[in-house]
Amino acid sequence: MRDNTLKYLLVLPAVVVVFATAIWPLIEAARLSFTVGRLNRPGSLDQYIGWENYTWAFFEEPAFWNSVYVTALYTFLTVGLTTLLALGLAMLLAPGGKLRSAAQTLLILPFAMSPALIGVSFRFMFNPEFGLFDAFFGAVFPPLADVSWLANPNLAFAVVVMADVWGWIPFLTLVLIGGLASVPRDTVEAAQVDGASGWRVFRDVTLPQLGPVLAVVIILKSIFSLKTFDQVFMLTNGGPGTATQTLSHYIYFNGMKYGQIGYSASVAWLMVIPMIFLTYAYAKFVFRKG
Amino acid sequence: MAEIKLKNLTKRWGDFVGVDDQSLDIADKEFLVLLGPSGCGKTTTMRMIAGLEEPTGGEIWIGDRMVNDDLPKDRDVAMVFQNYGLYPHMTIFENIAYPLRVRGVDKADIPERVQKAAEQVELTQFLDRKPKALSGGQRQRVALARAIVRTPKVFLMDEPLSNLDAKLRVTMRAELKHLSRELQITTVYVTHDQIEAMTLADRVAIMKHGVIQQLGTPDDIYNDPANLFVAGFIGSPAMNLINGSVQDGMFVTTGGTRLVKVNTPDRAAAILGVRADDMQVHEQGQGDIDVTIYAFENTGESTLLTVQWGKQRVIARGDRHLRKDQGDVVGISLNSDHLYLFDPETENRIGM
Ligand SMILES: Nc1ncnc2c1ncn2[C@@H]1O[C@H](COP(=O)(O)OP(=O)(O)OP(=O)(O)O)[C@@H](O)[C@H]1O
Ligand SMILES: [Mg+2]
Repeated sequence: MRDNTLKYLLVLPAVVVVFATAIWPLIEAARLSFTVGRLNRPGSLDQYIGWENYTWAFFEEPAFWNSVYVTALYTFLTVGLTTLLALGLAMLLAPGGKLRSAAQTLLILPFAMSPALIGVSFRFMFNPEFGLFDAFFGAVFPPLADVSWLANPNLAFAVVVMADVWGWIPFLTLVLIGGLASVPRDTVEAAQVDGASGWRVFRDVTLPQLGPVLAVVIILKSIFSLKTFDQVFMLTNGGPGTATQTLSHYIYFNGMKYGQIGYSASVAWLMVIPMIFLTYAYAKFVFRKG
Repeated sequence: MAEIKLKNLTKRWGDFVGVDDQSLDIADKEFLVLLGPSGCGKTTTMRMIAGLEEPTGGEIWIGDRMVNDDLPKDRDVAMVFQNYGLYPHMTIFENIAYPLRVRGVDKADIPERVQKAAEQVELTQFLDRKPKALSGGQRQRVALARAIVRTPKVFLMDEPLSNLDAKLRVTMRAELKHLSRELQITTVYVTHDQIEAMTLADRVAIMKHGVIQQLGTPDDIYNDPANLFVAGFIGSPAMNLINGSVQDGMFVTTGGTRLVKVNTPDRAAAILGVRADDMQVHEQGQGDIDVTIYAFENTGESTLLTVQWGKQRVIARGDRHLRKDQGDVVGISLNSDHLYLFDPETENRIGM
């Protein structure tokens, strides 16, 4: 057999699996997004209605825009906070940093936890009666005792963001420690001798060389933030009201709970668009040459 | 005004001693060369002066200020790193300009000064490139330009010419020599290369295992080595070291040959040092002693004769027109003005 034929034959199983589990559902979802698509109405999965699901989302459905807003704010906050905190921690933990120790290994712990588990544990910690935070804040600042964190829209949002940041910091810190370790030490030392202050060394020498890794971190985290579901599901289930309803949760709600499969498929496809851009950018940075 | 004073400077990593309790005064405007074999602590000494390595003990003074607790940026030194330390994301121009930029030099003056520094290291055509697009020798010259673009209190240069080809190295050496006389800035210069050390230095410090073995002018070091290490390290080919003893005012080799008169009290063991240049080569029977040629080398500017001398081999330098062959017998005589006697125990020089 020719090498050429063989090589295609060998990747064929992988291609089939990817097609069956990723490409086909995407195509099927695209098709469904143009149908009435109600689980409780037989035949509606083949009943085409053009762009109506999309126009419905855009023009008739404030809840959709609410989810867009929640997701955007959530993504902005979690990406920003996680990246900044992880970068700070990485600077402290990197070789030559001030805090290098076994702590670095322990750090991975939150990342080893499943997001759903993080959601549940944060829900308990913020329980207004027996939660850890209630006890803690209540002791430090009595007016904060008995605050129902998860019942207040803004506080609930903050808690969801916090849980996510907490869960993601370790992994991104490790990635950034790796990035920092690859910044040649002489360049930093040369800048110090050249007369740069700590901040300028960081800005002029460390950060530009860390750029590609940082970009990967930001893009990767954006992708994960955009599609956050499990944590929200376990922690607040989108509430109170729709205060923490991310797009994924909104899709789940409409599709699984209300049986509006066609409509949720169209929203899901709307989410694919930013994902494509991010994935493209990610691939560009990760597979970039030289 | 910037003399450098090192007082009992020590650097240890665990049990390993990198620099061992060294004191050294470098005068203002002096060009001091640190010379020594690989791993003897030259870079470590230099990094401590720059503030990149914290001394385990001792004091560092630059001018009339103790700088132990000063950050590198506050010590006002410029350094050429052994492995360059160029900023890979900046162009060559930006690399050279960086010390000027961070020290707040007037923006309008920067291009001119960068241009001048680049000219001094013959790099002007590369200013728009990134370091990655340069050869090792070119990168090294960028590192050099980045140091000389500014007038600091002190220059620290860690083997700044090590990666240049032989011809460029000679040019750059002359350029550095000229520059140092012109700028009159205190300089500490590290090298492996003896010629660089001899030609550039006001004084040379020879190091071994973190200890300065001898500090002196190039003349002193070459003509008055303090111990066996310095004697063997300086000079090419290395000084011949012959084992023997002193009897009745004569140096006698272990093989029993009464070689040459020395003004030293008799002693049971001594090592005689003699440079290849301080031996004359004659026809057979006309020197102090006849020896057989083990190898004959013609270097162009002179000839080198490795001769079998009892059990030892010794290298003598002959005239460049001399033609001999392996196995020939020649006469050798020693110039008694340039003989060195060492104590094999302490390895120190015995006063002659
Ligand atoms: N961070 C460190 N930890 C432990 N040992 C070190 C460290 N840095 C240097 N050393 C050791 O200190 C000794 C002196 O090193 P240094 O770099 O000063 O040598 P050098 O004289 O500059 O050698 P070369 O001519 O090869 O550049 C070496 O044996 C080296 O292994
Ligand atoms: Mg070195």
